[in-house]
Amino acid sequence: MRTFGYVRPADAGEASARLRDGARPMGGGTDLLTQLDRDILPADEVVDLRALGLSGIEHGDGVRIGATTSVAEVERDAGVGERFAGLRQAAAAVGSPQLREMGTVGGNLCQQVRCWYFRHPDLQCWLRGGETCYAQIGDHRKHGLEPGDCISVAPSDLAAALLAMDAQVETTSRRMPLADLYTKATAERRSTLALEPGEFLTAVEVPRAPDASAYVIAGERAAWSFALVGVAAASFGDEVRMAAIGVANLPRQIDPDDPAAGLPGLDMTRWKRRLLETLAADARAALGR
Amino acid sequence: MTAKLVKTEAVVEGRTEVRWTLVEEDDTPEFEDGAATRPIGEPTPRITARARTTGSARFTVDIALPGLLEAAVLRSPHANARVTSLDLDAARAVPGVRCVLGPGEGPEHDDSPLSDTPAFAGAAIAAVAADSADAADAAIAALAPEYEVLGFVSTLDEAFEKQDFLVDPTEHERGDPDAALAAAEVTVEATYTAPAQLHNSLEPHAAVADWREDGLTVWSSTQAIYDARATVAEAFGLDPERVRIICEFMGGGFGSKFGVGPQGILAAELSRRTQRPVRLVNSRREENVAAGFRTPAKMEYTIGASKDGRLQAVEASAVMGMGTGGWAFPVLEPVKSVYACPNLRLMVAPVRQNLGPSVAFRAPGVMEGTFGFEQALDELAEKIGIDPLELRRLNHSESDPEDGKPYTSKRLLECYDRAAELAGWEGRDALRGEGRIRRGMGAAGQYWWGGGGPPAYAEVRVGKAARPAVTVGLQDLGTGTMTACAVIASERLGIPVDSITVYAGDTSRMGHGPFSGGSMTLASIAPAVRSAAHHVRTEILGLASEMFEIAASDLTLEDGEVRSVDGTLREPITEVTGKLGNAWISGSGSRGPNPAGMNVNTFGCQIAQVAVDTGTGAVTVERVVAVHDIGRVVNPMGARSQVMGGILQGLGFALMEERVVDPTTGTVVNAGLEDYKVPTIADLPEVICEFVGEPDPHLKLGLKGLGEPPVIPTPGAIGNALAHALGVRLREAPYTPRRVLEALGA
Amino acid sequence: MQVRLTINGQPHELDVAPHRSLADVLRTDLAMTGTKVACGEGTCGTCTVLLDGRAVLSCLTLASACDGAELATVEGSTPLLERLRAAFTAHDGFQCGFCTPGQLMSAVALLERTPQPSRAEIRTAMAGNLCRCGAYEGIEQAVAAAAEAG
Repeated sequence: MRTFGYVRPADAGEASARLRDGARPMGGGTDLLTQLDRDILPADEVVDLRALGLSGIEHGDGVRIGATTSVAEVERDAGVGERFAGLRQAAAAVGSPQLREMGTVGGNLCQQVRCWYFRHPDLQCWLRGGETCYAQIGDHRKHGLEPGDCISVAPSDLAAALLAMDAQVETTSRRMPLADLYTKATAERRSTLALEPGEFLTAVEVPRAPDASAYVIAGERAAWSFALVGVAAASFGDEVRMAAIGVANLPRQIDPDDPAAGLPGLDMTRWKRRLLETLAADARAALGR
Repeated sequence: MTAKLVKTEAVVEGRTEVRWTLVEEDDTPEFEDGAATRPIGEPTPRITARARTTGSARFTVDIALPGLLEAAVLRSPHANARVTSLDLDAARAVPGVRCVLGPGEGPEHDDSPLSDTPAFAGAAIAAVAADSADAADAAIAALAPEYEVLGFVSTLDEAFEKQDFLVDPTEHERGDPDAALAAAEVTVEATYTAPAQLHNSLEPHAAVADWREDGLTVWSSTQAIYDARATVAEAFGLDPERVRIICEFMGGGFGSKFGVGPQGILAAELSRRTQRPVRLVNSRREENVAAGFRTPAKMEYTIGASKDGRLQAVEASAVMGMGTGGWAFPVLEPVKSVYACPNLRLMVAPVRQNLGPSVAFRAPGVMEGTFGFEQALDELAEKIGIDPLELRRLNHSESDPEDGKPYTSKRLLECYDRAAELAGWEGRDALRGEGRIRRGMGAAGQYWWGGGGPPAYAEVRVGKAARPAVTVGLQDLGTGTMTACAVIASERLGIPVDSITVYAGDTSRMGHGPFSGGSMTLASIAPAVRSAAHHVRTEILGLASEMFEIAASDLTLEDGEVRSVDGTLREPITEVTGKLGNAWISGSGSRGPNPAGMNVNTFGCQIAQVAVDTGTGAVTVERVVAVHDIGRVVNPMGARSQVMGGILQGLGFALMEERVVDPTTGTVVNAGLEDYKVPTIADLPEVICEFVGEPDPHLKLGLKGLGEPPVIPTPGAIGNALAHALGVRLREAPYTPRRVLEALGA
Repeated sequence: MQVRLTINGQPHELDVAPHRSLADVLRTDLAMTGTKVACGEGTCGTCTVLLDGRAVLSCLTLASACDGAELATVEGSTPLLERLRAAFTAHDGFQCGFCTPGQLMSAVALLERTPQPSRAEIRTAMAGNLCRCGAYEGIEQAVAAAAEAG
């Protein structure tokens, strides 16, 4: 392991200040620590956010989930299971049981991509600030369906489910639709998270419970796999909202009637269109729609 | 007891070795009428259970000694390069660093594992030993290597085109294949591609070396403590008796951990120079790039048969991707040695690639060769229109098709029949369905070598408490060999297994023992254990005879008691052994020669049932029926576990495991357990497992080896089942969702 | 950094550098080598321990984040753990044994939360613990048997 300092502030302001100074935020640490080990966005200090009182699930018309609530807690919450089935299914799909116990909702939503070039210890791909997207010229069998500077795919199961439910996120400085948490990486700013320095997630909220919701995932084995494709669906009255991960750089809202629209597939990923269409149909069917 | 030198043949992983061995006269009786006395044949829990379930079992990675230094290795990030600059002095100057070895440095009498022309990404360049892992890492960073990056070759096609062979290509002919193919009534051409499979033993390759004035001790995660000792002794110019290799518990090997590896050599050299114990443990990434792999292979078959299904000729060629090391595993053995085919030509091209060295992986060559050929045979069966198992029965050979020798036992026909019965083979077409989920059933045969051979020695001693100690010169990589040894000794001594201790995994205890591989470990050691236990039994009965004034031939040992055959005497064994005081009775035994002029092979058949989601491409193996002919089963519990383990590794190969090499950089991009997927408990199929046949009549204890057979037919059976389900044949494993959907036209 | 925690019921006071993993501190500083490390990057579950009753990966847990926590490792001895040991032994839930400590701790976490799990629940709960030797059938049967015996 690389060496770094560790603090666990009880005050959000202190946490923000340290993040502004270059420290990295930690929830469960499951993604952060492996990144630091490979010198991905290295830092001299990690700031543990779990003493800031940001844990907990509050039910009202909708549901409000604190950012350091564990994924396992979300999966086990009776209210989530009853009224936000898609969210429970997404939580159940995350990683392994241990990773669900350790991982936080905030960490899950903000996690880095899994692309094996991004995570390669000896390469600096475009997303890491280098010049080359190795995936595009190399083995991109698990990657996205549309061209771009970076063809890695959004990995967060929770993001798909919450996006379909029209979730909002709260940060230390603002409140915004979940979709706005994500932004296309650019040459000047190689990050898919639209957070300012020092800003971190404090909660995610689904304002009203859908009539029905579902999340379906296709992985590389029966359990403990990041999604090749994951599709979430939620219905609010006549409206059906759907979102997918594993198909594009960011979690993507998709058209229930034409799920693969705008996602032509690349040389090695055209096969994913078929998978996307199947899962979209399955998710929709699970709504009874 | 007179001893003599005997010459005998032993076949290991397809290579025949002639050995001289010292064998003692042995009066151990064979089992009467092939039957055994319990507990042989009874399910017996592992005798090491307490150690393994409490965490008290110490694996090589757990060994810590006072003053231990942690070692680390600098590895090249490039597929092929020359090191142009390396700052050894800067590394030496890092606080806590005790020794730095540069390219070319190493033991006096052997090649250095460190090179400044690293020929694959992951090749070792330098090694350091330091007071802590952090200091070792800092030293590695301080080396600040610079490279001249060179061109590389990583794909099979490229390597073959360049005709860059790691070892000489081979060609083998039988009969006149050209004429026979030309005259064949039915011909099938088929190509199959097998991936590189990475062992990913959970305990990484590791060594702890402690160099002392009076000798060198190396704890090594190894399948071959005696080979390791020989290698180390030779490399460092030491008397082997002064080298001690210890491996009491190891976390898997599956063929990748023969010898002591570069870890052992480097740790020993670092220890020699620093006069401190040194520990070197591979990271998971290093396991995936530098610790070996099952060779990927592209296999092309042309099969010529008569209209009724009899094989007339097979021409087969295989390109094997060997990386930068290994030997040419017998990938076309299934073509050569299983079926009666009068004409064949087999060509194997073992090519070099800028990738790590290939090593054995559970049934090396034969597993992937079975995967290919058993599917090609199914294609023939389909073309002709006959049942795939019927095709195999038609081409059954009672004796070895290559050398004509008889087998000590061959129950392959029974394996087909019993597997078919258990699987519901007759009804398989009805399984298929027309909806989104398609089902199929496929079969594959199994052939492997199972005899073992000398030299293998065992000692048994019993003291006053009648708690025997069995000492064997071998290591147990989780196969249950130690428990089997206890079971065998228990039968002779009449003392329950849980009173028996088995000492293994330490070269200082015994002169020599078999390595754990080639499915020959138990077949080699079992007769030696039985013989040693029998000698002790004979002595105990002799003492009992004197004590109780009953002829020894009228006495027996059972359930911890001395009993007279007529039932009048029943005394605890401790009545006899208690008289020993501080003395003990000991017996030794050795493995005799193999039966001359006969081949010792194992056979089997597995039938897999799969379900395919044609919407997602997901393949589920629902059930595997496994029927194997291995002669006598010493411990059915351990035997079933071996079968489960083989099936799961075969399932992984078929569905999800493959090393992925980036075409641009020549580096492995899935060098860890996230992207190199192995099965989890959620992938476990239902397994029905049976062993056919009585004990082999020509072998001591009638047993043959089981370590590798269970992995051999699984991928071929799954491939055949998939083709049956889909009506489309996939030619490359693993059968990932992508390959399935693309085959279905996505 | 000062870290106070209870391990298998015993109090410990440690002084550890902030970046060190719990797995490394257990194995190196406390010589508790029962907890094994196979990947060090959260992918295999071998290093699983119980932190305040939850199954977590000790290789990705900072020791410095464990101040005040209660830790259970395979070196412990509770009635449930002993029942599981007996069941793993009776049903051959291991071969080489390297993954076994992690398997046992995941099983403890499951049975403490769900004393009578279904086979599906067992598979889900144990899916994060890889076994390369392939002892999954024995593991599943052992966990079911231990639940039954409870």
